[in-house]
Amino acid sequence: MNGFTFLDGGIVGIYLLVTMVVGIAIRRYVGRVEDFLVARREMDVYLGIASLAATEFGIVTCMYAAQNGFEKGFAGAVPGLLTFAAMFLVGWTGFCIKPLRDSGVMTIPELFEKKYGSRVRWAAGVVIVLGGLLNMGVFLRTGGDFLVSVAGLNPNYLEYMMTGLLVGVAVYTILGGMLSVLVTDYLQFIVMSAGLIVTTFLILSKVGWGTLVETVETNYGAGGFNPFRNDTMGWSYVVFNILLNTAAVLTWQTQIARVLSAKDSRIGRMVYTRTSFFFVARWLIPGIWGIAALALLTPEQIGGSSLLAMPRLLGMIVPAGLMGLLIAAMLAADMSTDSSYMLTWGGVIYNDILAPFRKTKWSEKRGLVWNRSIVALIGVFLLIYGLWYEIEGDLWTYLGITGTIYLSSMSVLLIACCYWPRANNWGATAAIVCGAAVPVTTLVLQKVGPWTEWIKGNGALCGIAAYVIVALSMVVGSLLKPQPQVVAEGVPA
Amino acid sequence: MMAIIDGMRSMLTGHWFWGAVTLVCLTWYSTVTVYVAIKGAGDIRRMLRRLSEANEEGR
Repeated sequence: MNGFTFLDGGIVGIYLLVTMVVGIAIRRYVGRVEDFLVARREMDVYLGIASLAATEFGIVTCMYAAQNGFEKGFAGAVPGLLTFAAMFLVGWTGFCIKPLRDSGVMTIPELFEKKYGSRVRWAAGVVIVLGGLLNMGVFLRTGGDFLVSVAGLNPNYLEYMMTGLLVGVAVYTILGGMLSVLVTDYLQFIVMSAGLIVTTFLILSKVGWGTLVETVETNYGAGGFNPFRNDTMGWSYVVFNILLNTAAVLTWQTQIARVLSAKDSRIGRMVYTRTSFFFVARWLIPGIWGIAALALLTPEQIGGSSLLAMPRLLGMIVPAGLMGLLIAAMLAADMSTDSSYMLTWGGVIYNDILAPFRKTKWSEKRGLVWNRSIVALIGVFLLIYGLWYEIEGDLWTYLGITGTIYLSSMSVLLIACCYWPRANNWGATAAIVCGAAVPVTTLVLQKVGPWTEWIKGNGALCGIAAYVIVALSMVVGSLLKPQPQVVAEGVPA
Repeated sequence: MMAIIDGMRSMLTGHWFWGAVTLVCLTWYSTVTVYVAIKGAGDIRRMLRRLSEANEEGR
């Protein structure tokens, strides 16, 4: 273990100081709720790329992608290729995101109100928040595990360290909203990317490409390169990831917030097409780190935890100085993710769940106070939930299942809202109920009952079932609702 | 230099698909990081200027 030197501490300290100062300084530009939630829709292409990339790569991302590399070889990076394809196609065609941005709404449920009514908007808001909070609940502990393992810190300080980090992120997010998030994301993108690239070149030079390939061949055979020949993946894993990643590109709150903050739908689409290939890097780079851990570490060093293998390797091979850059990069990755998650999910709570309580228009000042309070409360939730929930199965599957709570129903609702005139509130309600019920049942059955082992081993099949059931619910529910009688052309009876 | 070329050549033999994806990925990411760092700074400057102007007009 190389450990964490004063030089490393200095690099990390400077990074944290600059980020906090910049993040807090931006607060003076925030005067309206629209500034706070969507940066007054002033985001341009390159800031959007930096922000989207920084947000979508957190420590938790690095950990589950490395775990996939460790457990599945190169085939573990397949979700990255699928996300790239989905995001590129959605950005190129404008599928759903063009009508969404052109509508001028601040959140997806706000668009749903126009098609399905206010109750569906409220229910959609609740489901989005439920799925998002469960998802982000594991970020803190996973991030703390990484930092403790890499830097060789005392695990007893994990809670204090992550609490301090979260408080710092919360301060600039609460004060500056999306404007602070965008500007700090830009700084974090640069630091994060530098750390990722330099560390990858270090690993490739120390381990060698030939060793990586040989390790995957020895441990997983053809399945380490081809997902269809991998025992832990197969067609169900690939299909689930196609559905999951397409739904995420269309409706994941942090991704869609960039489209909604863009100056117009053309900019939003460009941000998507130009960021799409980043998702290959997002999976492949940590995946290579995970394979390197498999190649170099002994079972004793791994200690039975595939999730912690990669950080343990980094702690052993990254030299002083570069360790500071790596830790700063990972802090940057985590801070940009946390800030954006708190803000964008807080935005749904304010804009959609609290909508029924805003019968009269609230002042901008009152709206800002509420938004800031909600972000603070989400921070408190992250602290509490993140400290006691223990994940069953692998991290990516947990995130996939909790994300599916809303991704399945919201993606179906959005597609139907934009392109199926017959879709209505009956179908939408059925889709929301089924979309939440299937993943929640899966989560419960992972913990209790006679099928825990089967459920843990077939998370992808449960995920596919959720998407199929939700789509059928939307179609059947919408068709069951009686159509208004038409007595003359275009005039309902 | 020769070591780098040999390394790249080895990545494109055997399981060439993942070697090629890794090479493209690292090249693309290194380039885009520098490009976005430069152009993104301009985006921030313009965004903050527009916000300042809008706030001035609003007063």
